[in-house]
Amino acid sequence: MSTALTREQADLRQTVADLLAKRSPQAEVRRLMASDDGYDPSVWSELAALGLLGLVIPEEFGGSGAGAAELAVVSEQMGRALLCAPFLSAAVLTPYLLLALDDTAECAEVLPQIAAGELTTAVAFAESGSARPPRHPATTAVRTTNGWSLTGEKIYVLDGVGADRYYVHAESDSGVGIFAVDPGAAGLEVTALNTIDQTRRQARLTLADTPARLIGTAGAGAIALDTALDRAAVALLAEQAGGTMQCVQMSTDYARTRYQFGRAIGSFQAIKHLCVDMLLEAESACSAARHVAAAFDAGEPNRMTDLALAQAYCSDAFCSVAAATIQVHGGIGFTWEHPAHLYLRRARTDAQIFADPAWHRERYVRIREES
Amino acid sequence: MTDDDIRTEVRQWLAQNWDPGADRAEWAQRVFDAGWSAPSWEPEWGGRGLSDPQSRIVAAEFAAVGARGAGADRADMLACTVRDLGTDEQKERLIPPSVRGETRWCLLYSEPGAGSDLAGLRTRAERDGDDWIVTGQKVWTSFATTADYGLLVARTDFDVPKHQGISFFIFPMRQAGVEVRPIHQITGESEFNEVFITDARVPHANLVGEAGGGWSVLQLALAHERRLMGDLARTSKSSGELKPDADSLITMARAAGRLADSHIRQEIAVAEGYAAVNRWNTLRAKSTRDKAEAATLLSLGKIAMSRILHETARVQTAIVGPEAMLCGTDSPIGDAVTFRTLNAYFTSIGGGTDQIQRNIVGERVLGLPREPEPYRDTAFRDLPH
Repeated sequence: MSTALTREQADLRQTVADLLAKRSPQAEVRRLMASDDGYDPSVWSELAALGLLGLVIPEEFGGSGAGAAELAVVSEQMGRALLCAPFLSAAVLTPYLLLALDDTAECAEVLPQIAAGELTTAVAFAESGSARPPRHPATTAVRTTNGWSLTGEKIYVLDGVGADRYYVHAESDSGVGIFAVDPGAAGLEVTALNTIDQTRRQARLTLADTPARLIGTAGAGAIALDTALDRAAVALLAEQAGGTMQCVQMSTDYARTRYQFGRAIGSFQAIKHLCVDMLLEAESACSAARHVAAAFDAGEPNRMTDLALAQAYCSDAFCSVAAATIQVHGGIGFTWEHPAHLYLRRARTDAQIFADPAWHRERYVRIREES
Repeated sequence: MTDDDIRTEVRQWLAQNWDPGADRAEWAQRVFDAGWSAPSWEPEWGGRGLSDPQSRIVAAEFAAVGARGAGADRADMLACTVRDLGTDEQKERLIPPSVRGETRWCLLYSEPGAGSDLAGLRTRAERDGDDWIVTGQKVWTSFATTADYGLLVARTDFDVPKHQGISFFIFPMRQAGVEVRPIHQITGESEFNEVFITDARVPHANLVGEAGGGWSVLQLALAHERRLMGDLARTSKSSGELKPDADSLITMARAAGRLADSHIRQEIAVAEGYAAVNRWNTLRAKSTRDKAEAATLLSLGKIAMSRILHETARVQTAIVGPEAMLCGTDSPIGDAVTFRTLNAYFTSIGGGTDQIQRNIVGERVLGLPREPEPYRDTAFRDLPH
């Protein structure tokens, strides 16, 4: 198992970096933060044209069936650029969920459209109080004459506003299932949440006797969702690593060029040592993200403990390095116009969206205890 | 020759020649004559002109059967330095006995007043006919009591800036005027010594490089030392590296009845997270083809290891609780936890403090500017101290 990039992966990284340099510079990020949709459909189409939206979708469903390593390469660049797009929800979490549910009809209908950039989706699993799916969701699914009907409330739904289809996690009399809900369905109300990070939109879904279709089998939803969240975490880790690396870059560039007391501030050990500690966090986060991706591709037996440690580590690393980035920049870092706070906002969101670091640390110890 | 050819040849040679009961001197000579002592060097210095990685293969094969005598081209600081910069006379006189293990060496670099700022050293050497007379104090010297020679940096000119007045000597240790006292470390161990030097003599013939040119000789000697430390860190089990059985904290917490404590569980995962990312950094450094990426990762290794050792000891302290107040054979667990707590400073101070390492990484990796040096052109004699 190696974390070294192959030539193809290095080319992929360059392609994505070039695209994002052109299509997701800070001015664009700012524009999309203030927009209603939160992303640029023309950029979404370009991602599709490059095959990035079908990256983890198998070839039989219109994708390229790439591995976790390729996903990490792409996500690292997206995290660096704070790309505003529903990539994590629609192009990563949804395909992994549908594949885990093994619902061929749904896969055949939806995945090619996702790969082509024609359809966006959101997965609604969290309920108030936890970003993780509850073991027994309060959202319930009951059978109707021609399908199912959902009632309940889902929160922290990533890219939930404007999605073309929702996959909702709900409790039925046959166990926890995943149910497809159309945005125009009766009794469905989608409300945008006020989020600290405007580059990553979230919604609240309220469902009242809302018609829904069961995906896969009832009772298979909990395990499929956990599997999908863990595989999608590879992308989140890489985004966090990329964001952390970018913060170090910004901070050291500033420390080299900002003069006070007749010296570049980076010549002061107080700043220099802070930057080195940030570099250690960033490189470690990067190694963690790539290692976990490789471990998933190789089916390593320790991949779940490695994932748990990596999710805790990368969340903490991104938060602390983004915070230190503001400090290194001093006054300018405290202004809205400077991008430092955008990374801290993203970092603090990423450190919650698939559960907080303490949850992952507890998970690590629990798995080790049981083994 | 390919790596496999070398491996085969050295294995065959060892199979035919290695005898665990062999006389030490005789064995050393045989290894030397065969060119295994310093495989990457010329035959006259116990080598056979192999590449550096091939030399490591030879050393690994020797280590695998428990045979001594290979790898002087990486491990013998005296021979490495003299081979680089010594005169022909010095090479012939000093290298073969050192490579064969007939003479032993120690390092006389640090002083009580010259640690991080080694160039501020004050040990003085004054010319007296064919000799130099040395007076001063050195610290952190391993193996000082068994050494025949010390690699010594001493000030030979106080009237030039500090880096320019230093000379490098191969200093005879076994003489009146050299007193070795063990240093008692905070752990209770004594691995290092202080060396007090009073009017001791070193022949001018043992000056390496020019008088006043010792700083650049030292840089080469230190480069050899860093390479050796890197080798040891990769291979030695006792190099402070956390054992791969990452469940040791869990085992310890379970034994202490603390594994149900949610705070302890969090702390365990924090400490093991540091160890895990360091393993992944090392793996990434080894697998990448990007030399700058590898160099960046390796430069962070020391700081990362300090963090692992200090944090692991901190979590162990939290696990054992009041037992951490006790030591000795009655309280082996408390004893071990305190030892690890204190011994972590071996890594965060030894071989250059973590703070100096952060300067180095900040300047060489991140390209941040150096501190201004207001005394760069000031004669050593005039420096504030």
